[in-house]
Amino acid sequence: MSITLDQVTKHYGGMPVVNDVSLDIGDGEFFVLLGPSGSGKSTLLRAVAGLSGVDHGRISLHGRDVTHVAARKRGVGLVFQNYALFRHMTVAENIEFALRVRWVRTKARRQRLKELLRLVSLEGLERRLPAQLSGGQQQRVAVARALAHKPEVLLLDEPFGALDAKIREELRRTIREVQRELGITTVLVTHDQEEAFAMADRIGIMNLGRLLEVGAPHDLYSRPATRFVATFLGAANLILARRSADGIQVGGSTIAAVDRPAGAAGMQEHEVVAVVRPEEVELAPAREALRSHFVAHGVVSEMVFTGPLESLRVQLQNGRHAPQLMHSDGESTADQLLQVTRTQHEQRGFAVLPGQSVAVGVRRAHVLPTPLSSFTACASSTALAESLSREPLLTALAARMKTRIALRSEPRLGVSDAACSEEQEFVGTTVIACQADCAHRAEWLLRRGVQDLLVLPAGARAPQRVLIHWMGEAVRSATLAMSASVLRHLPAEAVYVSIVPGALAGARGAPGMRELLDARSEAQAAHGLEMRTEMRFGEVAQELAARLAEAPGQMLIVGISDLTRFAERFRPLLDGGQWPVLIVHRGPA
Amino acid sequence: MSFRQPSVLPGFGLTFGFTTFFLSFLVLLPLAALVLTAGSMHWSDFLHVVTSPRALGSYRLSFGASFLAAIINLVFGFVIAWTLVRYEFPGRKLIDALIDMPFALPTAVSGIALTTVFAQSGWIGRYLEPLGIKVAYTWVGVTLALTLISMPFAVRALQPALLEVQRELEEAAETLGAGRFYIFRRIILPTVLPALLTGFTLAFARAVGEYGSVIFIAGNLPLKTEITPLLIVIHLEEFDYRGAAALGVVMLVMSFLVLFAINLLQAWNRRRHLQEVR
Repeated sequence: MSITLDQVTKHYGGMPVVNDVSLDIGDGEFFVLLGPSGSGKSTLLRAVAGLSGVDHGRISLHGRDVTHVAARKRGVGLVFQNYALFRHMTVAENIEFALRVRWVRTKARRQRLKELLRLVSLEGLERRLPAQLSGGQQQRVAVARALAHKPEVLLLDEPFGALDAKIREELRRTIREVQRELGITTVLVTHDQEEAFAMADRIGIMNLGRLLEVGAPHDLYSRPATRFVATFLGAANLILARRSADGIQVGGSTIAAVDRPAGAAGMQEHEVVAVVRPEEVELAPAREALRSHFVAHGVVSEMVFTGPLESLRVQLQNGRHAPQLMHSDGESTADQLLQVTRTQHEQRGFAVLPGQSVAVGVRRAHVLPTPLSSFTACASSTALAESLSREPLLTALAARMKTRIALRSEPRLGVSDAACSEEQEFVGTTVIACQADCAHRAEWLLRRGVQDLLVLPAGARAPQRVLIHWMGEAVRSATLAMSASVLRHLPAEAVYVSIVPGALAGARGAPGMRELLDARSEAQAAHGLEMRTEMRFGEVAQELAARLAEAPGQMLIVGISDLTRFAERFRPLLDGGQWPVLIVHRGPA
Repeated sequence: MSFRQPSVLPGFGLTFGFTTFFLSFLVLLPLAALVLTAGSMHWSDFLHVVTSPRALGSYRLSFGASFLAAIINLVFGFVIAWTLVRYEFPGRKLIDALIDMPFALPTAVSGIALTTVFAQSGWIGRYLEPLGIKVAYTWVGVTLALTLISMPFAVRALQPALLEVQRELEEAAETLGAGRFYIFRRIILPTVLPALLTGFTLAFARAVGEYGSVIFIAGNLPLKTEITPLLIVIHLEEFDYRGAAALGVVMLVMSFLVLFAINLLQAWNRRRHLQEVR
């Protein structure tokens, strides 16, 4: 491996800017770090270059641990967005800088200069000053300068940001050619997904300091695992759908899913988030004329011509089976605008105008593997449910997840033996307020089919640390999946807390340790979740409550498979707690 | 040259007129009067006044101490400007404002304050005395006073130049393998060299012309701690206007020569880069 990052973490003012990033980049690979501004990608690159230290974790280059090695001894080449050329030096002096520092003889230096000038096609300009070159030429000089000392790794920090479109394309090709010719391991940081697609062997997508997904461009585009990647990498319609053994049910028809092979054949029907790319949507004059699965009728509300493609927004008509679109603001009820792109060919087949009624079909849909689909604020009255739905942490989560918060009123919530007042079963994550007999209410809901339950104290803020624990191996995988999903939307660190019963402290030390390591490696391998581990001794609920009380800004995700004596066992954790608790329940009600 | 060039302020003609008028009226006219007054002397009288041992001693002190003060300010002004530009610390704004104090203070006040501190019985002077170091009433005190009053010029000239040095340049050099000293010598220094020269020039010019603060701390012993401006005042007090004018002309010529030399250096520095290009 050329570059190995192991749990690299960097904080600024208490907030993690780079959060537990682990990554392997192979020899000669062209790796692109993609993310919005402020996602931590540049900070990570600077950490690799040695220009900023890390608070935690290790960085190795070609097997050499360089975590505490100064930038000038790391042997990397770095190219900045604003070129950072030495303005008082000529092109030749700039390129030769690294060689002069190393006391390379004049003859060898001239030789290398010639090679590099040829490599970046700047022959004949060596006696110019940077100010006399165009932006594209200056960046070529910067690339040549960064390569002069034959570094093992080339790092590019948004190198095309300051250039106009045409030059950008040209320079992109040059850099890709140079990289292939030299076979040098390269990391490029950008916020431009088109650039990432054009250059990368593999792309790593960052958001809120976390490395969310890593993969080949095509895999990431067609099979994203997270909402963020689905919407950041190209446009996507996120639809709340129902997944059953047959496929995905969107607006009345069932579409065969293209996602990873379904785990169990006898899968329980549940709510999922489906990704429909705008180019996978078909428009036709009537339902019968569609060649794909019909999902709804709609009205064209907006049309933009972009050359090769036509980009439209279609207002879906509300109906009983209308698909639930998810929007960035978390509102799913207001505007049901579906993004559609069509080729010239499709347009000629069926030309549409704004205001026209169309039948909408979907060719392909991909289901996100996240267990977090939507939220339902549940309380004993609609008014209470509504005030609960305005809790800051809940609205923040819903907005980041681009999902909706439904309301549900259960007047007899917590009354023993009372049935649910609404017939509809519970979907997604149910949310209740944290209050006096909270454990009791939680049990009531869990016994009536709720699988994921968030207990929210009033005014809770986004946590800085999320503690993870599960009781019973049956629920381990579900808890990890849920934790990974939640943590993608929060800039918090994850800590797995293993609890060994107090009486067995001495005897069970070693197995407890193995459990810890297993949990960590599963989280990493199956869910891409980096977490730290802690071990405690004692009774589970008490220990967790004690750990949560230690510092503010913590949240707990706990997996359970057994509801026996639930209220009694979890009273110290739930009743009147100042921390949010997410309960993941799998098993008999 | 055309007087019709579009601009925000009214007319090039008007502004150019003002420029030449003010320069002539406020700068060139008095200087011309000075030269004329000196010119009315007989040649041998002029030589006698400007080459008297007392006058020669004062030139040495005035220009020597000013040169030394400007050099000191170059080094420490750079350090101060660097600290203010590069670091965030509580009280940075306050220190930044304090730099201008010598501008605002009547120079006599600075002189009296320095004398109080460095006189043989002063706060610091009393500890330096046993070590055999005399500050007040020696050339050291003169240099100290000149350093104090010319310091803001060096700092203020350097600050904007240092702001210009992007940290990215240093980082680029670092990833290319350069150490701190190398980066300072090859990246930072060349970038701020013009500002350093400007700062030096301003500080030197200010120090040469200084009078108020020096006369308190210098002790004004003829041949030893007497600066040229003071000698001029002494001539004036003796109603020897011509003698004073003669010394003034010498100062004028020498200052002009120094400024001219530094400007040549600047121009040469600029041209060196352009020539490399061709």
